[in-house]
Amino acid sequence: MTAAAFAAALALGLLGALAGMAAPRRVRPFVAGSCTAASGGAGVVAGVAALTGHPWTAWLPHLLPLAGTRLAIDPLGGLFIAVTGAVGVCAGVYGIAYARPLGRAVQAVTPLFLAAMLLVPAAASVSTFLLAWELMAVASLLLVLAEHRHRASVREAGLWYAVMTQAGLVALLGGLVGFAAAAHGESFARLREAGHALSPGVRAAVFLAVFAGCASKAGIVPLHVWLPRAHPEAPAHVSALMSAAMVNLGVYGVVRVGFDLLGGGPVWWWLVVLAAGAASALYGILQAVVATGLKRLLAYSTCENMGLVLIGTGAAGLLAHAGAHTLAALALTAALLHVVNHAAFKTVLFLAAGSVVRAAGTGNLDALGGLRTRMPVTTVLFGVGALGASALPLGSGFVSEWLLLQGLIKAHGSGGTPMAVTMPLAVAVVALTAGLAVATFVKAFGVGFLARPRSDQAGSAAEVPDAMLLGGALAAACCVLLALVPAAVVPGVARAVRVLVPGPDAVTGAATLRLHGVASTLSPLWIAVALAVALAVLRLGVARRARRKARLWDCGMGPLSARMEYTATSFAEPLQRVFENVLAPETGVHVTPLAESSYLVERVTYRARVGDRIERRLYRPVIAAAARCGEGARRLANGSVHRYLGYGFCAFTGVLIVLAVTR
Amino acid sequence: MTPAGALGAAAQVVLVGAGSPLLVGAMRQVRARMEGRAGAGVAQPWRDLRKLLRKEAIAADGTGPLFRIAPLVLAATALVAAAVVPIATTASPLDGSADLFAVTALLALGTVALALGGLDTATAFGGMGASREMVVLALVEPTILLSVFALSGRVGSTDLGAIVGSALHRPELVVSPVSLLAAVALAVVVIAETGRIPVDNPATHLELTMIHEAMVLEYAGPDLALVEWASAMRLTVLLGLFANLFAPWGIADASGAMPPVIALPIAMAVFTGKVALLGGALAAGEVFMAKLRMFRVPELLAGSFVMALLAVAASYFLA
Amino acid sequence: MNESLYVQLLDLACGAFVLAAVLVLWRRDLGAIVRLFAAQGFALAALVVVLGAHDSDAGLVAVGVAVGVLRAVVLPLLLRRALPAGGEARETEPLVNVAASLLVAALLALLAYAVTRPVVALEPSPATHAAPVALTVVLIGFFVLATRRRALAQVVGFLLVDNGITALAFLTTSGVPLVVELGVSLDLLLAVLVLRVLTARMRAAFGGTDLDDLQELRD
Repeated sequence: MTAAAFAAALALGLLGALAGMAAPRRVRPFVAGSCTAASGGAGVVAGVAALTGHPWTAWLPHLLPLAGTRLAIDPLGGLFIAVTGAVGVCAGVYGIAYARPLGRAVQAVTPLFLAAMLLVPAAASVSTFLLAWELMAVASLLLVLAEHRHRASVREAGLWYAVMTQAGLVALLGGLVGFAAAAHGESFARLREAGHALSPGVRAAVFLAVFAGCASKAGIVPLHVWLPRAHPEAPAHVSALMSAAMVNLGVYGVVRVGFDLLGGGPVWWWLVVLAAGAASALYGILQAVVATGLKRLLAYSTCENMGLVLIGTGAAGLLAHAGAHTLAALALTAALLHVVNHAAFKTVLFLAAGSVVRAAGTGNLDALGGLRTRMPVTTVLFGVGALGASALPLGSGFVSEWLLLQGLIKAHGSGGTPMAVTMPLAVAVVALTAGLAVATFVKAFGVGFLARPRSDQAGSAAEVPDAMLLGGALAAACCVLLALVPAAVVPGVARAVRVLVPGPDAVTGAATLRLHGVASTLSPLWIAVALAVALAVLRLGVARRARRKARLWDCGMGPLSARMEYTATSFAEPLQRVFENVLAPETGVHVTPLAESSYLVERVTYRARVGDRIERRLYRPVIAAAARCGEGARRLANGSVHRYLGYGFCAFTGVLIVLAVTR
Repeated sequence: MTPAGALGAAAQVVLVGAGSPLLVGAMRQVRARMEGRAGAGVAQPWRDLRKLLRKEAIAADGTGPLFRIAPLVLAATALVAAAVVPIATTASPLDGSADLFAVTALLALGTVALALGGLDTATAFGGMGASREMVVLALVEPTILLSVFALSGRVGSTDLGAIVGSALHRPELVVSPVSLLAAVALAVVVIAETGRIPVDNPATHLELTMIHEAMVLEYAGPDLALVEWASAMRLTVLLGLFANLFAPWGIADASGAMPPVIALPIAMAVFTGKVALLGGALAAGEVFMAKLRMFRVPELLAGSFVMALLAVAASYFLA
Repeated sequence: MNESLYVQLLDLACGAFVLAAVLVLWRRDLGAIVRLFAAQGFALAALVVVLGAHDSDAGLVAVGVAVGVLRAVVLPLLLRRALPAGGEARETEPLVNVAASLLVAALLALLAYAVTRPVVALEPSPATHAAPVALTVVLIGFFVLATRRRALAQVVGFLLVDNGITALAFLTTSGVPLVVELGVSLDLLLAVLVLRVLTARMRAAFGGTDLDDLQELRD
């Protein structure tokens, strides 16, 4: 079952790639999109089959020279495959309509990208894993660059992404190859056996290298710089695939290597993970709350959510080290459930954002507004996603954040001083993140979709084609399911967790979630039912009456114009001021007085820009240093052929001299 | 689900629904008397609500369905919170489905609905109110969760029924530094969440200083009645929750000896007394205080955050 | 005194002790800061008296009363008289803003907890368990010294450090010899007197007590 479905998923991916290249122009988007969706669907089947107890391993010695290909799908891999597949279904369906105006490359590479992502969690040897990882990285890079002819910013984003993803690969390569060399074998089974016995130094080096590589893929601060650039520039369904599926694989790498292959580690590893997660969550949401570009906002929200996942992972590592396996399983269940939830709501959000950008021609929130009358379905879809992302009841993120908080609160009793000091801080970080996430998505939804259009472009937007709505609706349905009946996926997540931390399921129950060993319960379904009943009663009580139209309160000055509305910038201004020390916004007020008198003001211009402070402080100096080295190197190359030959000659004789001396 | 619990939950909803406007009336009366005015009487909020409910429903120009549904959502979340929170009984049938996190998140859902309603009007006031309300909401959240952390420490559960029940059985825990610090922190939270002085002024009609009132500026008639009623219910629920977390005596306990028919009315009477006392104290405090500047509010909330963190720290410093 | 009442009272005194220190960070009004310092002195005295009463040690109770008189009455009175009659009654612009100071205080509390764990583990008792509270006050006092501009706020910071050290001594060793405590208290009194004189001279020379003005003296 697992094998057949997985093979079908890969084959459909390849078929889609071929169709994207070769199919006639008119049917190309349809064929490529359907193949992507079908490949995703087969991936979901394979993943669910693995989760329900049909693991699968395969050894294909001839597929790759020297190393061969080794595949294995256990419940952990199955979970990630299922999530990736589900995102693929939505993105594929959406792409049928969305990718029509895009070039051939996008249609051909998208299915390939999905297949590569499905392959990563199935890899069971270092070489297979790295190969799939690199395939995924290259495919996503091509997709990010899809519109490079139209906008210069795409090329810049592509460059950032290429550098970060390849640097990440180098870290991962170093870590895993070093691990394989130390373990004398490269299959994951061999690594698992040898992982415990390696010297602490080697283990730490492997873990740190893998963590750095995976963190750059997951968009963890300070390796997140590519995310807010690449996501706004990539096509919407590619953004959804990257932000809802690809970043998860970073988490997968950390969990697989940290818990499974290395079998856990000392306290400081997990403190590093926890700290990186906390920094990422806070910084990501702070940037999101002041962002004005819709897709940029969503990209930073991805940083935040991956940060939350890493907080759960780090806490689980600490707890497992302290021997509290039940609580470790709880924290890890929360983290992986959040991966699933994040995938669901981020898919909806990116797809809906893509529809907005397509329909209104801009993703700048300051120019949007009033879409609820022109794009009602998209508005509802974005609303469902935003509710999930803001971790409020009836939203899907709420359940996993609740579990995460339960895990953190219970954790402080076990594990000594580091636990006792870090857990309250982690809870505070999660709480602040949750609060700011609410503000972020109220801004995104309220400013972007409600009120009145702030520009002509937004005023003339029209609803997008059905396929795009259907793709979003599928993901939105997943969101609603996850929000109301989390028990539908919790057992699957629990099985994946059991691969990493032995012990009973941490979370059980159908309508009401019960925690193992912790006396707290939550029933999202009953909350929803109670709310629905209360709403119905109130609706009946306050009888429906015909409403009379009336003017808005305009202070007696005549009709209000759209210029008087609050914009995204003004909405976020108080928070920007509160967190001034962290965000370091560049603001300037320029007052131009009238020519006649300096006391009368002709115009006031206010300019505010919130850049990425980490990028400015950390990356700019590095880039400047690299540029200086480049300048220096240019002086070495002055165009004289004799000089170049001279370099070659000197190097050659130099090597010979070294050899002669040392032998 | 026990019949007693279901009865208790229904009683709670009725008590909060009917009593909250009276609480607001009582608080206004206290303020009026202390400021040397006669006051309009305790029942005035009910008279206002009745008047508003009889008025014509208004659809403000350019507003959408969300604007219309927001007051309903706000009131519905307040009602559900009233059913969940241990006000008169610790055995509400919904107790297991929502803990303290869920209750605060539920109330936040109501706030969010109203903020979206405010943004939907496309007026500067609506946006301003929504923006400020979100600032307060975001900054209050860490304090709430850390207080929960501190309070749940002694029980091992975040279930409200369990926390209140434990305070009932071991009263000496209530005067511990953990409880006191958490109480100070939560008091600030309650003030901020219900928009009272010094965070917001519920009586203001100067647009530039408003937070909550700016958001609801466009509501009129029955919609405004719902918003006002829901605000009163939120105030009651939060004050009641505060009272019962730190002084739970009198509540009908699940394992209590008295039959629910007797225990419930007693619990409701005691609860009314507690909330009236707290409300009176709050109103009296407001007479002597001025509203803080908007950008001094984060300092206040940071202070409450420190209290909450110290409460957590104390829960194992002094363990 | 029964054990649980003792623990309750001790914990309450410690809670008030640290709360006063945090509130010093919060308030800008110098008069309020002095009042808070007085309240903290009172909490410290209560702490010592509770410890003395528990050990049935009349000497310790006497020391507690003496500490109370000095720190809750005498020193605040001296400080209050150093308050200028008008103007600069507020810590207008501390080097680290108030909200950030409060967050730092929270982190310092956790640091104090982490640092004192081994000390507490040596001899776990209700009194040693409260040792982190005392260390927190020392750290907060240091922080006040480092970030506040007004001379008076600095003096209070210095006194907070001393209060913290005193509390730490009483909590971990259950009492220092009377002579030592008296000596320390006299030193403290002297230091405050000297600082008062200095403040007055500063005001005469510079017209204010912003310590950053002292940088001019370097040249």
